[in-house]
Amino acid sequence: MKRRINKVAVIGSGIMGSGIACHFANIGVEVLLLDIVPRELTEAEKKQGKTLEDTSVRNRIVNEALQASLKSNPSPIYHKDFAKRIETGNLEDDIAKVKDADWIIEVVVERLDIKKQVFENLEKHRTPGTLISSNTSGIPIKFMNEGRSDDFKKHFCGTHFFNPPRYLKLLEIIPGPDTSEEVLDFLNEYGEKFLGKTTVVAKDTPAFIGNRIGIFSIMSLFHMVKDMDLTIEEVDKLTGPVIGRPKSATFRTVDVVGLDTLVHVANGLYDNVPDDERHELFKLPDFIEHMMEKKWLGSKTGQGFYKKVKHEDGSSEIKSLDLDSLEYRERKSAKFDSLEKTKSIDIVADRFPVLIEGKDKAGEFYRKNFAALFAYVQNRIPEITDALYKIDDAMKAGFGWQHGPFQIWDAIGLEKGIQLMKDEGFEVADWVQSLSESKDKAFYQVKSGKTYFYDSDKKSHQKIPGQDAFIILDNIRESHEVFSNKDLVAEDLGDGILNIEFRSKMNSIGGDVLNGINAAMDIAEKDYEGVVISNTGDNFSVGANIGMIFMFAVEQEYEELNGAIKYFQDTMMRMRYSSIPTVAAPHQMALGGGCELSMHADKIVAHAETYIGLVEFGVGVIPGGGGSKEMTRRAAMTFQKDDVELNRLRENFLTIGMAKVAKSAHEAYDLNILERGKDIVVVSRDRQLAIAKEQAKLMAKNGYTQPVKTNDIKVLGRQALGAFLVGTDQMKAGKYISEHDQKIANKLAYVMSGGDLSEANYVSEQYLLDLEREAFLSLCGERKTLERLQHMIKKGKPLRN
Amino acid sequence: MKTAYIVKGYRTAVGKAPKGVFRFKRPDDLAAETIEHMMKQLPDFDRSRIDDVMVGNAMPEAEQGLNMGRLVSLMGLKSEEVPGVTVNRYCASGIETIAMASAKIQSGMADCIIAGGAESMSYIPMGGYKPVPNYETAKAGNESYYWGMGLTAEAVAEKYKISSKDQNEFAYHSHQKAIKAQKENRFQDQIVPIEVEDIFVDSKGKRQSKTYTVDKDQGPRADTSEQVLNKLRPVFAEGGSVTAGNSSQMSDGAAFVMVMSEEMVKELNLEPVARLVSYATVGVEPRIMGIGPVKAIPKALDQAGLKLNDIELIELNEAFASQSLAVARELDINQDILNVNGGAIALGHPLGCTGAKLSVQIFDEMKKRQLKNKYAMVTMCVGTGQGAAGIYEVF
Repeated sequence: MKRRINKVAVIGSGIMGSGIACHFANIGVEVLLLDIVPRELTEAEKKQGKTLEDTSVRNRIVNEALQASLKSNPSPIYHKDFAKRIETGNLEDDIAKVKDADWIIEVVVERLDIKKQVFENLEKHRTPGTLISSNTSGIPIKFMNEGRSDDFKKHFCGTHFFNPPRYLKLLEIIPGPDTSEEVLDFLNEYGEKFLGKTTVVAKDTPAFIGNRIGIFSIMSLFHMVKDMDLTIEEVDKLTGPVIGRPKSATFRTVDVVGLDTLVHVANGLYDNVPDDERHELFKLPDFIEHMMEKKWLGSKTGQGFYKKVKHEDGSSEIKSLDLDSLEYRERKSAKFDSLEKTKSIDIVADRFPVLIEGKDKAGEFYRKNFAALFAYVQNRIPEITDALYKIDDAMKAGFGWQHGPFQIWDAIGLEKGIQLMKDEGFEVADWVQSLSESKDKAFYQVKSGKTYFYDSDKKSHQKIPGQDAFIILDNIRESHEVFSNKDLVAEDLGDGILNIEFRSKMNSIGGDVLNGINAAMDIAEKDYEGVVISNTGDNFSVGANIGMIFMFAVEQEYEELNGAIKYFQDTMMRMRYSSIPTVAAPHQMALGGGCELSMHADKIVAHAETYIGLVEFGVGVIPGGGGSKEMTRRAAMTFQKDDVELNRLRENFLTIGMAKVAKSAHEAYDLNILERGKDIVVVSRDRQLAIAKEQAKLMAKNGYTQPVKTNDIKVLGRQALGAFLVGTDQMKAGKYISEHDQKIANKLAYVMSGGDLSEANYVSEQYLLDLEREAFLSLCGERKTLERLQHMIKKGKPLRN
Repeated sequence: MKTAYIVKGYRTAVGKAPKGVFRFKRPDDLAAETIEHMMKQLPDFDRSRIDDVMVGNAMPEAEQGLNMGRLVSLMGLKSEEVPGVTVNRYCASGIETIAMASAKIQSGMADCIIAGGAESMSYIPMGGYKPVPNYETAKAGNESYYWGMGLTAEAVAEKYKISSKDQNEFAYHSHQKAIKAQKENRFQDQIVPIEVEDIFVDSKGKRQSKTYTVDKDQGPRADTSEQVLNKLRPVFAEGGSVTAGNSSQMSDGAAFVMVMSEEMVKELNLEPVARLVSYATVGVEPRIMGIGPVKAIPKALDQAGLKLNDIELIELNEAFASQSLAVARELDINQDILNVNGGAIALGHPLGCTGAKLSVQIFDEMKKRQLKNKYAMVTMCVGTGQGAAGIYEVF
């Protein structure tokens, strides 16, 4: 029988437990979240006359923990309504309910004796055959199932989520000695397909894969910072976005995670890997001991490597810890010549070969750092995993690295990497030596769009399993290119589907992207069955290229500006009115023009982590690429006989007027940006493109006919204008918006009312697009709009004026 | 001219909206049951001699639409012979009906009219379901005709320099006075106990019902303090001073009086309770509507030939602390006679009911203070820039 997960029980409601519970709720699973019963009443409970027998007291720990989690930012839940899928309870009164769970996940305190006791208790109620796992980050799985039944042991393993479970992609699955293959295979696929994770099956070794390598990496930086006489700012500069790692880089990340958490894992490693060739590295340097004593643990105690200092005048400043004096001092800017050289290199992988050649301290840093990293990871095979790609997967998914260690090594070149190691006195592992003696000389290969890794055991390249469910654009961009220009590539996805991929700066939509879309649509209408618009950028699209709009506006070239906006609108309309189905597959930010483009596709297949919205007010204009038109149309589509239509229109007006951005794709339904019954949300980013392609195929297969343009959009005229005018006047009088905000809002009101009409009328999309464009252009003639545009271009932030 | 007397007057307790005790009680039922209760006090009275039922209401739509006045006459009197009308002057509706009834009787057009008001802010949103301002009018620079009341309260606070601290102090005292009055049972004689049946689906999916009786105003809070009130955030303007704590509460309630000609009073041998001596309404700038009473009070006093210090007690509807303070300061009203049992900030403000409710309250309070044959006043600001004031002689 096929294994299904309809209900999970999460035992322990701490930060991880609540976060895991929320993520299961996110994907639609019913959750039972249990924690212990408090031993004492709080003062407030005493005042209310409650006793330890009251349910509200008995469930206090779990309820407070879940509420705190739900209130945290960023939110652990896709949509606040999804929290209703979580039932809370306590381990004494409700434990019998775990019998209905298809999977029990233990997330209690990291103490073997307590965990064993919990499992003993759970076994009394667990239904045989159901899954049971521990979210431990360090306790060996083999110790935890001692004394349990065979059925338990067979269905038991480690499932290690990373914090926060919604956002961090890594899920390590650690088999115990008796875990069945069926269970491992199931979890491996379930984690990826249903939970949207990168699942990595790891061996039951201390700290598994992610934390073993991650802590090694951080600890080696802790030592290097002093050995090389660097500042923490310098290390953060060197280990941040320049090499494809998070902005918070090293020390800032530790501040966010909490030094104590890191030290806990590091100490565990020091105790448990005595034979590790870098054992001494896991010993805490003096400055860390000092910080632990002083409780400088990072954000949670208000100071760590950095400290935010508030001045008397209300301003604040971030100071840095000087690791020699152990005092906070003003931040120093970190500058390196070799980093300057990589500024013009957009593709991060291309920077590595340049960086290691640096003649300055940065070059020396990278040579030492990568040499140590390469040496360490080569020696972990086969200790922690047999397959090198799992180390890369874990570091990318768990630590936000754009490239894993072996991918960096490939980028530098195998021989060059070996040379770096030798220069630093590290030995080359036998299997790496074998690889260097073969003809391939790379850890990875791409063949027919699929990725192969070097199998150290078989001494040959093997296909990475599981990838048939994905379409990896990076692997087919060159081989399957059908069309390209500077800012856009179109790739043949097979089965008659063409993918349109932006590659402009931040995937903004400018002339070349629009030209590219039209060219690709020409090709697709001629030779293909359907189109998908997706890309692999950090964000789907940050919107229209406002630099171009600003230039035309400031030069007062209104004729050209009008032409450019018209071209944008026409291109959006072409997404809808073409002879083939179009599917937009947005992920992360899809703002302004990126949102408008999505709204004009026949279908949206959004990744759950899509932050979509019409944010044009921030730069002093209204949506001009069909967004204002579309929100008017969508309101009209919902009108039913005798409805108060004005109120429906108002909600869509506010979506634009307040520049609302959905914090997940599910929230975008509430904003009427995604439409129920038409658009879908997928949890797995890796599968998103393949699913989008399937949707396009299906629409083509079902017989797709180009939609017919109609004149049936009901606009409300003066009825709506009057209401909007009064509304914006009140906002202005209440000082919630500026005079310029009011002006922009009234322009939008005019468009969304269909203009000054004495009564409700029925109009076409083009009629609304013309109104929208006219309003957009008139705002571009406003000084304050120009100031907003300029501010956004220069500072990357909206200006309120 | 004939003389018109008020012979009876009752009100319901006031529930909080939208989640208070009357959330499941329709406004027409509240009104009808109040009238039924009043008729029980006159068991031998022939109902067909009532000429009209006048129901004040500020948002006459949905549950309180379809000329609720007529429906209330049918439901409350259990007779088809008495007509009914709905009257709207927003927050003065409940006293406007008393004035209209009195005037009709005085001119000989009627002998007996039931007048008052009912409002459910639980059922009907403020402004109604579809406010549609006139575009041409708004565009001509008159957007403030349609402003929400909170914003006008901010405009008053700004113009008359009413500090946030003063507003919160005023609000605090409103609650304190109301709590004291409740402890002293000062309202119980005027309140009609209303039975509420709540039929609902419980957490187990079972249809359930529970019944409870409401005979106490729900709004007053003994636990509030100036510190708590000072912490509340302004809700109508960025950096403003008007908060949920120093504004009147949204409420549900009904109140009615019976107005009767002198001849009929004598014939039936009834005791008059009060007489409306004068009633004035005025127009002011809509964006500072809260200041309406400053103009209405002198006008009503002039009509009656009285001075402010002839008035023993005043009920000034506390739409907002800012406008109440502005009115009191502009007219130099003696604080000791103003809203002696607390006002709408504590007790609630069921819009169209308020004028009748405050009238019923002041008749009772005059009686309890044994202020026989003396004058009392009910006054309020009214939306879109109006004010109203009525002076009663209470017996």
